[in-house]
Amino acid sequence: MPSARSILAPSILLLAVGFSALLGIVAMTFWLGERSQAVFQEVIAARDARTATVELRSALVSAETSQRGYLLTGNQIYLAPLATSRARISDELEKVASAFAAEARLQPALARLRAIVREKLEETDRTIALKREGQDEEAAAIVRTNRGKALTDEANVFLTGMIRSVDARLIAAVADQTRIADLLRQATLAGFALIVAVVGLVAWIVVRYTRALQAANREVLAFNETLEQRVRDRTADLARANDEIQRFAYIVTHDLRAPLVNIMGFTGEVESGIASLRKAMDDAAAGRGDAASTLEARAALDADLPEAIGFIRSSTRKMDGLISAILKLSREGRRRLRPEPILLKESVEAALAALRHQLEEADGEATVTIAGDGIVSDRMALDQVLGNLLDNAVKYRVRGRPLRIAVTVAPLDDGHVEIAIADNGRGIAEGDHERVFEPFRRAGIIDTPGEGIGLTHVRTIVRNLGGDIALTSAMDVGTTFRIVLPRRLDVAEGPAA
Amino acid sequence: MNQPFAPVTIAMIEDDEGHARLIEKNIRRAGISNEIVPLKDGASALAFLLGPDGSGEVNVGRRLLILLDLNLPDMTGVDILAKVKANAHLKRTPVVVLTTTDDSREIKTCYDLGANVYVIKPLDYDGFADAIRKLGLFFSVVQVSEND
Repeated sequence: MPSARSILAPSILLLAVGFSALLGIVAMTFWLGERSQAVFQEVIAARDARTATVELRSALVSAETSQRGYLLTGNQIYLAPLATSRARISDELEKVASAFAAEARLQPALARLRAIVREKLEETDRTIALKREGQDEEAAAIVRTNRGKALTDEANVFLTGMIRSVDARLIAAVADQTRIADLLRQATLAGFALIVAVVGLVAWIVVRYTRALQAANREVLAFNETLEQRVRDRTADLARANDEIQRFAYIVTHDLRAPLVNIMGFTGEVESGIASLRKAMDDAAAGRGDAASTLEARAALDADLPEAIGFIRSSTRKMDGLISAILKLSREGRRRLRPEPILLKESVEAALAALRHQLEEADGEATVTIAGDGIVSDRMALDQVLGNLLDNAVKYRVRGRPLRIAVTVAPLDDGHVEIAIADNGRGIAEGDHERVFEPFRRAGIIDTPGEGIGLTHVRTIVRNLGGDIALTSAMDVGTTFRIVLPRRLDVAEGPAA
Repeated sequence: MNQPFAPVTIAMIEDDEGHARLIEKNIRRAGISNEIVPLKDGASALAFLLGPDGSGEVNVGRRLLILLDLNLPDMTGVDILAKVKANAHLKRTPVVVLTTTDDSREIKTCYDLGANVYVIKPLDYDGFADAIRKLGLFFSVVQVSEND
């Protein structure tokens, strides 16, 4: 049966794994979100830097356009956007400087840009001032030096480089963002797979545990059913044993009472004999002894008294015999059994060898058929059973008919072995099949001496060996005793004495 | 003794020699002088009652009274009782069961089978002798018909 522990430990472990996976996914998501935020900030900063750079370039172009327009026309109208452009230029320049402040390699370029812008603005201011004073030639001469255009071109080179650098930063940030998204997706998928696996495993364990529980439940139910059957069998055995004990007690008390009646009765006879003796003595002493009283006394002395004493003695002996037989049965019930491996072939042959002379006298012949030999039982008890039954076969043969005994050992399928002893003797009448097993009872004509205890003894022994004995018989044809014994005698389970 | 009782034979089926002797002595003491046939076991009892052919014809024309002990070594007295009461020639023979057995079921069985009297052998001698003497008195008044 599965214990609760066997499912608890792996389930808790698996649930812990699943929970860790969930925690991992959450932590990963949080961290990737932070990373994503940082990348986003970077993108905003890069975009601001790009905007500022583009604005600066546009403001520089706008300022140059104003300068050129004024120098060409002398019309004040062209100077109007210049003021705005100047403000924008210084504004955007500061923005660009702060946007790229973190990039050390750009600092010399920034310093150079500042110098270029300053110089360009000085060139613009000087040319415009000369034009305003009417010194057009000097202004045109400054322009013709192409110094202003060179400055603007150089600024453009720097600005374009910076824009490229910012673009590169933007591309890197986007790539970063993509990578983070991929990571997040993969991590989520991995976590999902892990959780699914954990849930599946836990479900499998639960299903397996439930199945084991169901199987155990079925086993318990089946066991209960056989238990009831076993209890019924045992109860039947006990009832049978109880009936036998009652019958035994009944027979024993009544058989003991019979000689007791004799003892009491003949004690009374002794008393009446003594009374006639006393009467004769008294009569003789009184001198009036007559022939009748003397004759009566003589009869009491010669016949009645010896007879009574004889009966008292024989009844006492009979009681002693009965008590000895009962003690023998009781001792057999208490004897400690010693199971050992036994070959039935050897036991049967030894029992037959002990009867060889009687068999020869009876013109007898015995056949032995053994199949499935080899049992574990008590040798002494088994020898007594075989000896007793074979002895009976010889004792109760039909005179003048050659005795035939067949001993057959056959295995039964349920761990038992059957020993059958068949004879061609006088048989046992139908009504006596149970009676022959009762103590002090015999069946048929009593022509051989015996106490009527042999089969009682045999049955007691066989039951002690965990087996049973039964008989089938036909009058004047023969009797077969069938003993069923367990193949292995279990002493612990043997009936208690 | 008066003549109507004279020809009655008492068949005493009793395995215990001592009991048989005590019963006989006390019957005689009661003044009964009828012939008593002692039968020591079931087999010889049946042989006497039913004859060698087992038909019971051997006792036709005889007046019998059966005194029956139940505890016999070779069969139970109940079996003999059943056979007697089932026999056409013997079924009217009075049967007195005289035994140590006081089991109420056994007494009932005997009466059911047709036993006429059931007497338990008392353990004390006076009681025993008294019972037998009363039985003798019973014998002297009981009318026994001839077997037919």
